[in-house]
Amino acid sequence: MSLNHLAQESSGAPLVQVEHLAMRFRLRGGQWIRPVDDVSFTIDRGEVLALVGESGSGKTTIGRLLLRILEPSAGRMVVDGRDITHIRGRQLAEYRRVAQMIFQDPFASLNPVKTAEDHLLFPVRKHRGGRPAEVSAVVDDLLTRVGLTPVAETRRKYPHELSGGQRQRLAIARTLAVEPRFLVADEPISMLDVSIRAGILKLLNELKRELGLSFLYITHDLASARYFGDRIMVLYAGKVMETAPARELVAHPRHPYTRLLLAATPGSSHQGALPETANIPPNLSESRQGCPFAPRCPLATEICHETMPAAEDVGSGHRVACHHLEA
Amino acid sequence: MSNQQPVLEIRDVSIAYETAVGPVQAVSHVNLTLDENSIVGLVGESGSGKSTLANAVMRLLRGAARLTSGQILVKGQDVYALSPQELRRFRWNVMSMVFQSAMTVLNPVMTVEQQMIDVFRSHRPEMSVREAHQRSLELLDMVRIDRRHARSYPHELSGGMKQRIVIAIALALEPSLVIMDEPTTALDVVVQRSILDQIKELQKERRFAILFISHDFSLVSELASRVAIMYAGRLVEVADSQGLTLADPLHHPYTLGLMRAIPHLSAEDVEIEGIPGNPPNLVELPTGCAYHPRCPSASAVCEREVPTLRQVGGRAIACHIFDPEKRGEFAHVS
Repeated sequence: MSLNHLAQESSGAPLVQVEHLAMRFRLRGGQWIRPVDDVSFTIDRGEVLALVGESGSGKTTIGRLLLRILEPSAGRMVVDGRDITHIRGRQLAEYRRVAQMIFQDPFASLNPVKTAEDHLLFPVRKHRGGRPAEVSAVVDDLLTRVGLTPVAETRRKYPHELSGGQRQRLAIARTLAVEPRFLVADEPISMLDVSIRAGILKLLNELKRELGLSFLYITHDLASARYFGDRIMVLYAGKVMETAPARELVAHPRHPYTRLLLAATPGSSHQGALPETANIPPNLSESRQGCPFAPRCPLATEICHETMPAAEDVGSGHRVACHHLEA
Repeated sequence: MSNQQPVLEIRDVSIAYETAVGPVQAVSHVNLTLDENSIVGLVGESGSGKSTLANAVMRLLRGAARLTSGQILVKGQDVYALSPQELRRFRWNVMSMVFQSAMTVLNPVMTVEQQMIDVFRSHRPEMSVREAHQRSLELLDMVRIDRRHARSYPHELSGGMKQRIVIAIALALEPSLVIMDEPTTALDVVVQRSILDQIKELQKERRFAILFISHDFSLVSELASRVAIMYAGRLVEVADSQGLTLADPLHHPYTLGLMRAIPHLSAEDVEIEGIPGNPPNLVELPTGCAYHPRCPSASAVCEREVPTLRQVGGRAIACHIFDPEKRGEFAHVS
């Protein structure tokens, strides 16, 4: 580890710093939309930030921006002390050793004609080099680390010979091959069978605790966000509605949209009609005004349709962007 | 209630797929009854046979799949004894089905109204076009979609609206039984919840029976009064949904495993625990109880003998632990 790294770690700066991030796209017909709009957050070393929202909330776009699969239209992203907002070429390739992604569909992210071993040998060789025996030992360690034992048997298997859970474990092992510090996990369990989801969540939790990895955990499921996330950030139409420590957010939601999401989640204590006035998809248009949730919000007043409220600190790391915060 | 004829009786049903390596048993000796005006949930993981069973009720098994034993009665009528003409009338008038993907069910080049009229015209040939048109608009009202969308094409509607239309079409001819196969799985949680609320409301009003199929345990136990749990083609437990909590330990080990496997919103520090191993491959099913390789309570008898459903404290459970004669083999079970 370089001295530079140590200096940054002791300075206590968050591993990930995102400021005023925005992404705009042009639709056919010339209209501009803004699926990510003025989003700021930090993730500490060894911290899991759960990003929760529905389709169209911008959560996947934020994950892609942070891995620089997409380049942002505005704002700034600093990861591990480096500004990655507009890096290219060699710098971007180097950044791939810091940040990696776990995808939703492990079958699509693995190569069907390569064995489990092949998936790991290449990145290990490229990242660390060393004699074949050393590389091979690292591959064994990685497979053991993600619970794909007996190792000798797993090494020879092709993706189609692995179960869904095992495939996701292999995909996770591959991200670890380059010793990253930051993982973006985009719905890593939503395609898996219920009985094996817990195993993957627990594995991610171990990686966080034992390797000190930081995570951006992207999900639509508040229950798993509460389990794995240290903090939860709720997004609606590309805007941050509310951020709080995970348990606090679920126990004391302050934003009307968070309340709606919680009420709608199976297993919530909420009974009866949902607290919203209309059931319409979010408006992502760049020309929209005010709070994007206002058209569905039971508390909305004139000001909500005109001005986007600023995020307000309501204590103990709980921030809410709403004009109507009394309740 | 008890002397009423059930809406659906699944009697000892087995279904096999013909494959290159011989027949694969997807459903084995399933018995399940739905009373009028009831909602029963059918829960299982991929490959458990839940969708195969649903398709069998609709007599929609295709290609290599066939019913190898048993009977399926809907309102007392053996579905497999109907002639093709009778079956056509029976479907939609007596039983209908809602599939997971509205996009694959709706025809992309027909307007919503045309598709609704189509259903009326093909299953109730005596109905006039004028009446079919009127009834279509009423169906839109029923699922609270603006009548102006009668002329919309599916791609002009949101996912939630499309699924509402699919549900409206399933209810068009007021069937006694509606099978819903993961009807809300592809939808966002808020839309999912409002559709489930609407299903509940319509069910209360019109008193049809629902067989609701899902992999989502907490969703099903909220909606249904009774829940059937399937594993590797067999029912392992049928229980009232109120009793489906970890506070009540009297369940099949697989049911307990499923309940522990998901993080809950409300629970205080409950540690989640995955079920070890993987859902079984139907081509090489384990001997005896198919769950035994993953079961923390398994004993020698579980490898030898398939357990049958027996009544235990108001629910039916297929597990040797609950068999007084086999109990001796389980030294460590309290």
